[in-house]
Amino acid sequence: MDVQFFKPFVDGTLKVFEIQCKMKAAPIKPFIKGTHPQPSFEIAASIGLTSSAFTGSITLCFPKEVYLALMSNMLGEPYTAITDELSDGAAELLNMIFGSAKVALNPKGYNIQMAIPSIIRGENLKTTHFTRQQVIVLPFETEKGEFHIEISTEGASLK
Amino acid sequence: MFDPKTRVLIVDDMLTMRKIVGKVCKEIGFTDLTEAADGALAWESISNANPQYGLIISDWNMPNCSGLDLLKRLRTDTRFKTTPFLLVTAEAEQHQVVEALKAGVDNYVVKPFSKDQLSEKLEAVHKKYSK
Repeated sequence: MDVQFFKPFVDGTLKVFEIQCKMKAAPIKPFIKGTHPQPSFEIAASIGLTSSAFTGSITLCFPKEVYLALMSNMLGEPYTAITDELSDGAAELLNMIFGSAKVALNPKGYNIQMAIPSIIRGENLKTTHFTRQQVIVLPFETEKGEFHIEISTEGASLK
Repeated sequence: MFDPKTRVLIVDDMLTMRKIVGKVCKEIGFTDLTEAADGALAWESISNANPQYGLIISDWNMPNCSGLDLLKRLRTDTRFKTTPFLLVTAEAEQHQVVEALKAGVDNYVVKPFSKDQLSEKLEAVHKKYSK
């Protein structure tokens, strides 16, 4: 997998945050999962990646404070807890990021298909990816704290 | 631009997105907003609406009945052949745009979108029906 594969996900995230969330996000240096301390989070949205060349997943992970600030900005109301009603926002954000990356990647021959995301909620969550290949972590910084995206692939190797 | 009293139906399986679209619609000036959580529920609401909806803003990618399926269903029914329809999508690859245009969509907006972008698209839809 070319490292350029990951850039559209970073670009998509910045675009979604600026336009829809009205919050500035800045990318931090990406790393391979397991090589840095793994931050925990309270809500995540995950979506399967399928293409003609590989399979994998993308997981968007938020600590509570960042997520609530995002939702408050997007919906124009203050929120103090991640309720059932508020949960699908993580999936919607991931849909937008994924859609934006897909439009940039597919003309390059990736042929990625859109899937239905799922949401995971709880305290001090951690992820495990059942892949034989490295999982890339794309961290971002905001005024409310950090959040990150994890991308795992199977059937393609990192270049 | 559309009359602010136009009956608007917002269709999306994601509650958050319905809220976002609703918030932007209110900012634009619309006052009569109804929501449906998928294409099938939207069809039921549209079929029973009296007076009819004057504008439908629908997500594309939904389980059960997609926005495109809803659009196709509307365009084959003489009552709704000319109901203004705006598709909202997170992905707009060329083949998808062509498919939506063939099905009779009036315009589409790609997520993420600002109030100005949605307003601009709605203005274009309104102009189409004002000719």
